[in-house]
Amino acid sequence: MSEILFYLGAVMIIIGGICDLFGAIGLLRFPNFYVRLHAATVGTIGGAVVPLFGVALLALGADFLPHRYAIAGASFITGIIVLLAAPAGATALAYAAHKAKLVEWKPKVDHLAEVRGND
Amino acid sequence: MLESTFMTLMKFIIPLYIAAFVIYAVRAFKGPSIPDVILAVDCMSFDIAAFMAILAVYFKSTFLVSGAITLALWAYLLDIYVAKHLARGEVGA
Repeated sequence: MSEILFYLGAVMIIIGGICDLFGAIGLLRFPNFYVRLHAATVGTIGGAVVPLFGVALLALGADFLPHRYAIAGASFITGIIVLLAAPAGATALAYAAHKAKLVEWKPKVDHLAEVRGND
Repeated sequence: MLESTFMTLMKFIIPLYIAAFVIYAVRAFKGPSIPDVILAVDCMSFDIAAFMAILAVYFKSTFLVSGAITLALWAYLLDIYVAKHLARGEVGA
């Protein structure tokens, strides 16, 4: 039973590391701030929440750890905090960047401006 | 048995996280506008929080995870304050 939890957590940690690297490459290579938000979501949800839940499962399954229940519970709570806080922070940042007009933005289709222009 | 498996796992995991951290730092240093810098610092903080939870298992220490909780909350606070400063021009309650 403990081996199953341990290997499940190890697989989740490996998935988290790969997602984190891909999110970082996307954040470096994408052209625009609003496109970079997508890579940032990959880097936070896939790269922080998944390995934190993986650490929780791995610490529950690991027999060699002292205080393993404390590590498992604290990393589970950290995963829930990141899962709630990262989308809210990204949404607030995108709203602020659009409202302060800091980012150069050239959309191909803008339905809202068309509707407002017709009124 | 499980401990040696975890130590061989860490040999693959540590370079992935350090490479991701360096690439986030490059974007944070050269980001053209303020939201890019804040987004890169945000991703870097969540990355360090997850990496500290992994290092807590590696070093067998509980105290690293309490630092991870504080780091995640600090990144959210930075987001909200900078967004409010950019949108309204002030940082108030």
